Amino acid sequence: MIRRILGTTLFMTAVSGAIAADAPPGKALFDRNCAVCHAAGPSHAGTMRLAETRGPDKAVLEQRTDLDPAYIRLVVRQGLVEMPPWRPSEIDDDALTQLAQYLTRGRR
Amino acid sequence: MKPNLPPGISATAFADALEAFRKIVGDAYVYTGQALSSYADPYSIVSNEDAHAASAAVAPASTEQVQAIVKAANEHGVPLWPISCGKNFAYGGAAPRMSGTVVLDLKRMNRILEVSESDGYALVEPGVSYFDLYDHIQAKGYKLWLDVPDPGWGSVMGNALEHGVGYTPYGDHFAMQCGMEVVLPNGELVRTGMGALPGNTTWQLFKYGFGPYIDGLFTQSNFGIVTKMGIWLMPEPPGYRPYMISFQREEDLEQVVDILRPLKVGMVIQNAATIRSLLLVAATNATRSQYTDKPGPLPDSTLRKIMAEQDIGMWNIYGALYGPPTVMDTLWTVIRDSFSKVPGTKFHFLEDRKQPNDLLAARADTMRGIPRLSEFSFINWTGGGGHIGFSPVSPIRGSEAMKQYTMVRDRMHEYGFDYMSIFAIGWRELHHVVELLFDRRDPSIKRKAEELFRLLVREAAAAGYGEYRTHLSFMDDIAATYGWNNHALMKLNQTIKDALDPKGILAPGKQGIWPARYRGSHT
Repeated sequence: MIRRILGTTLFMTAVSGAIAADAPPGKALFDRNCAVCHAAGPSHAGTMRLAETRGPDKAVLEQRTDLDPAYIRLVVRQGLVEMPPWRPSEIDDDALTQLAQYLTRGRR
Repeated sequence: MKPNLPPGISATAFADALEAFRKIVGDAYVYTGQALSSYADPYSIVSNEDAHAASAAVAPASTEQVQAIVKAANEHGVPLWPISCGKNFAYGGAAPRMSGTVVLDLKRMNRILEVSESDGYALVEPGVSYFDLYDHIQAKGYKLWLDVPDPGWGSVMGNALEHGVGYTPYGDHFAMQCGMEVVLPNGELVRTGMGALPGNTTWQLFKYGFGPYIDGLFTQSNFGIVTKMGIWLMPEPPGYRPYMISFQREEDLEQVVDILRPLKVGMVIQNAATIRSLLLVAATNATRSQYTDKPGPLPDSTLRKIMAEQDIGMWNIYGALYGPPTVMDTLWTVIRDSFSKVPGTKFHFLEDRKQPNDLLAARADTMRGIPRLSEFSFINWTGGGGHIGFSPVSPIRGSEAMKQYTMVRDRMHEYGFDYMSIFAIGWRELHHVVELLFDRRDPSIKRKAEELFRLLVREAAAAGYGEYRTHLSFMDDIAATYGWNNHALMKLNQTIKDALDPKGILAPGKQGIWPARYRGSHT
């Protein structure tokens, strides 16, 4: 059952950008590129690490309110300790700006 | 910032080459300066941070653009380092072997050209990741499984070309490859196997075509740039049952491997099963600091505490059964009875596992071809991000597995590192993949890790074990260990290299193969 749920989650993640027409464009980018490590819940390496280094209240990126767009762009392009960098061939500068906007719009 | 130039190339000549590349792909897809930070190896083990620094990167969108770039590189004498998805982390990521090389980033070539449900194959470009192909198959509703390695963001093509492995019955990725399209170092385009026959309908069905089987020449090599590749996909079986078998003592490894050999060679164990060490399993849902704040090897009492808390063994087999229920029942009876001979053996299924991030749940996905990344939680064990794989190959024999294990474990403990590993079981061999974790921010730890790694390579080679794959920084070291008959194999590789790539523009130093223009200055 766990396996089935996870498999379905991955599939939904991939197509959610197309289905959720009212979602901000950065949401689909996050789901596609970041969620596999940074979504809420167990089995996410980035969330696990941030819980240890920053504390549980700062572990889930989509729930953070303290992130700055320039910081996000820097971390994506340069990586941060455990996280590897992302190349412009994977996420171009325009997409990165959308991603940074999504993570800094103060959503709860 | 002073530009990093390819060796022997003037700033003017380099600028001319970049201008030529821009005319081919457009200004937006030639990267220089700050953008190159994303092409650095984030987990570099060597103290020289510039050892594998790119001078630029160029990202074509088509085979025709790759051909044009290769021709321009020949004209200007500029070396290229092809990458597919660039996620070969722990082996160098997107970085080139030789500092100053231009990365040829093929990520934008990400088309899934064909999937045949009836014949069970896909034809893909280099930038197609496991996530991409999985999503495509699901969206189309094909009853096909792909075989995935642990990093789901990796390239289907790149992993097969690097001799990577996965965990279904199709786990030997290069064995499941069928048909390539290759841009040669002079820009000429070649199709291998049946692809050479105009109008053929069997390019992804029959590997060998007519004449020498040359696809292997384009794996772990610098003889060509593969732009299309066929990969066989497994028909969805009528049943699937993942399992875990745990063993309680270190010394059980010998008996476990000897039991496992006839089961694997006789195909009773159907998939590319793995034996995982205690700490590698534990590290997927816990960190070292939860158990100790002291450096050095963990005492037996702590190891036993981890085993009890996580309900895992000192060694843990992760495998799966595939087929109709009656077939799975019969195979399981043989497997269970065989391993029951080891005292203290425990058998586990998904429904028995209580931990929220239990590894069997992740393995249950990867052993049926669902791509994930969650197992990389293991790098959180000590924190600091750095990790590198030491990957010697041995027979599937208990005495050899124990010899490798004790040899590597003792050295790792001597240097202050925890031992964590996977024994991945192939058709006739064990890949002993040892994960060496280090803090990438600590130069003194990195120096120790580098020293340890080179020592392990030498000691393994002296015992007759060679690595199947390695990080950029150790390609020369490991190539040198394959030195039978006065390095006859390397001489052959160099002869091929010089014939195909006389100007030495393609991936200098890949797997220790240097073109004539750099030979001597780098080896």
